[in-house]
Amino acid sequence: MRLNKTVAILLGVLLLAPALLIAGGGQQAAPEQREIVLNWPTIWVGQDAKATVVEQLVNEFNQANAGQIRINMQPSPDYDGYRDLINTSIAAGQVPDLFVFNVDPTQFQYYDGDLLMDFTDDLKGPWGNRFVDGAIQASTRNGRVKSVPFESALTPIWYNTALFERAGISQFPTTNAGFWEAAEKLKAAGIVPMSHMTGGTNAWTSMLWYSHIVANIGGPDVWSKPLSDPVFVQAAEILLRMYQDGNTTRDAVGADAGVSGGHYQAQNTAMFINGPWYIGNIRTNSPEAYANTRLAAFPGPGNYQGGQIGFLLSNLAAANTNDPARRAAVIKFMQWMTEPANVARLSLDSGALFTIRFDIPPGTEVDPLQQMFLEINSSATFIAEHFQANFPADVVAEFGQALGSMALGRSTPQQFIAQIRAAAGQ
Amino acid sequence: MKQLNKNWKGIGLFLLPAGVLYSLFFIIPLGFVFYVSLQSWNGISAMEFIGLTNYRNLFQNPTFILGIRNNFIWAMALAFIQVPLAALIAMILTRKPRGWRFLRTVYFLPNVISQVAIAMLWISIYNAEYGAINQFLTMIGLEDLTQNWLGQIETALPAVIIQQVLYIGYFMIILLAATMSIPESFYEAAQLDGANVFQQDWYITLPMIKSIMVVCMTLAISYGLRHFEATFLMTNGGPANSTMVMGLHLYRRTSSLDYGQANAVGTTLILVGGTIIVVIRRLFSRRDKAADAVQ
Repeated sequence: MRLNKTVAILLGVLLLAPALLIAGGGQQAAPEQREIVLNWPTIWVGQDAKATVVEQLVNEFNQANAGQIRINMQPSPDYDGYRDLINTSIAAGQVPDLFVFNVDPTQFQYYDGDLLMDFTDDLKGPWGNRFVDGAIQASTRNGRVKSVPFESALTPIWYNTALFERAGISQFPTTNAGFWEAAEKLKAAGIVPMSHMTGGTNAWTSMLWYSHIVANIGGPDVWSKPLSDPVFVQAAEILLRMYQDGNTTRDAVGADAGVSGGHYQAQNTAMFINGPWYIGNIRTNSPEAYANTRLAAFPGPGNYQGGQIGFLLSNLAAANTNDPARRAAVIKFMQWMTEPANVARLSLDSGALFTIRFDIPPGTEVDPLQQMFLEINSSATFIAEHFQANFPADVVAEFGQALGSMALGRSTPQQFIAQIRAAAGQ
Repeated sequence: MKQLNKNWKGIGLFLLPAGVLYSLFFIIPLGFVFYVSLQSWNGISAMEFIGLTNYRNLFQNPTFILGIRNNFIWAMALAFIQVPLAALIAMILTRKPRGWRFLRTVYFLPNVISQVAIAMLWISIYNAEYGAINQFLTMIGLEDLTQNWLGQIETALPAVIIQQVLYIGYFMIILLAATMSIPESFYEAAQLDGANVFQQDWYITLPMIKSIMVVCMTLAISYGLRHFEATFLMTNGGPANSTMVMGLHLYRRTSSLDYGQANAVGTTLILVGGTIIVVIRRLFSRRDKAADAVQ
């Protein structure tokens, strides 16, 4: 059959049309925009304890700036998914107008190049005075502040007084011997002493236990030491003991944060570690465990007692722009979010801690557990960072895998550290 | 051939749209993946050409080698357990036993449920403290056999694979369509010759659906080689990297903003997958030719 040329050309054009339309779609002229719209993919939605007040703050900002600036929140409720979204957007050169990132060595690579808006000069003025000491410094790389410090964290040991009392322990131990004695008493009373986990992307709970032990032995500057320092193996030996002899739940190897936190909330375990953002969760889901919770420092065998693990948790960042109006809009929103009165609302509702100083309005009822966080923060003899704040994401991921191997008896504490050192290239 | 040469412009025009789209969305990205695999790049700074360093680092990494091995196990389990199981169920349902339509729907149902929901379900089933498997073993007096199924090196990989292998619906539907298209007269003739049900399936059904089986196995292998979701959701590669797969390794490199090595994993995944599929297809086609020659 001979193909009619005209018909063939017409068919070809018809088949090509969708592709041409797709390709040409982006060339349409955008309508003139008087209002500056800033898209904000955000994690603070859904079940997040800060979601309600963040939404209120954004709505209030949009109302106050109606017709001029509009913040368009784009919900992204999964933490790992959010991180992936930001990573891939930035790699594609499509930096979100506004976003939040966890402060760690991997995410600080965002500072490379000129993709992020630089707040260095803006924060030198009165705006910078709102922040607690060291917060801006911690967000500075090569002399530039390309993100605004926002949420901070303290991760003390949470313990359940009712379970301790049931085991005949009247107060949280203050010595290392007392700690293990308490663990034995808890086990004798049929209570699992600690929540642990090797799963998730960072073995969160166990990573925090390890950070406490390391800080107790090595002090506040422990992370400046190389992983070859004996302190890390000593701490690993203690971490291993926490996984042995029924000191943690049977499902700890492979467990994720939901399992680890779930055991504490179900009052299966007597001790757990997490930050203040978890207050809203436990208050809502397990009122009894919440009411029984008190906070403490880890009484390790080292010379550095009374320390806590604290760190900058999340910073606000924005895409760089040459448009002065757009830049002004971003800064206006950042200043709104870091307004002390607004931060107070956020903190009091969610229990979260922030890098911005604020006064609690007179007569305000502060959540008792949040009050304990504030007290333990001020009474800490020192504050050290956690493991995750000092290593890239792949090394943090390897921590959980190495811990699983050690907990299952496949490797020694020395091999545990060797595996992490190999991942870290040390 | 002469006719073909005369119409080359028309044929070219017909092929052009697909060719353009294929190039835009497959060939060019594939080339970019390979190009980036030769660079050191965090997605933010400028790329730096480093030759085959990413590949050398990759093949010196025992975790990645473990990932290749596990992907191979996945592929074999799906091709040689899941597909034959699907064929067996398809052959049973072809005989239209009572309630076969209901069973067909039941077997296919998991394929329309989110992989995330299924993974969450199995995490609960496997849980060492409150999981259904351990509860059942305890109930029947086999408490000694209870395990932390996803937390033991010996059981984690089989546990993740088994939950996937059981969902045979996708291949069952394909094979059911093939078995149902076999003319009834073949079976009637076999019955007249005194063949029982097993002989009918062995000598008629299986040879008739062999080519579809090969397609299903190829699909199963390709899925096994690029498997990611269930492992990521259920074990995240643990414990001790024992369930690591190449896709997860790629994901971890991406999360660390190491796009050069992530793309080296991607290129390796494509090469390993392509090679295995070509080998398998060659093996089957060789057997077919040998069988044809005998006949």
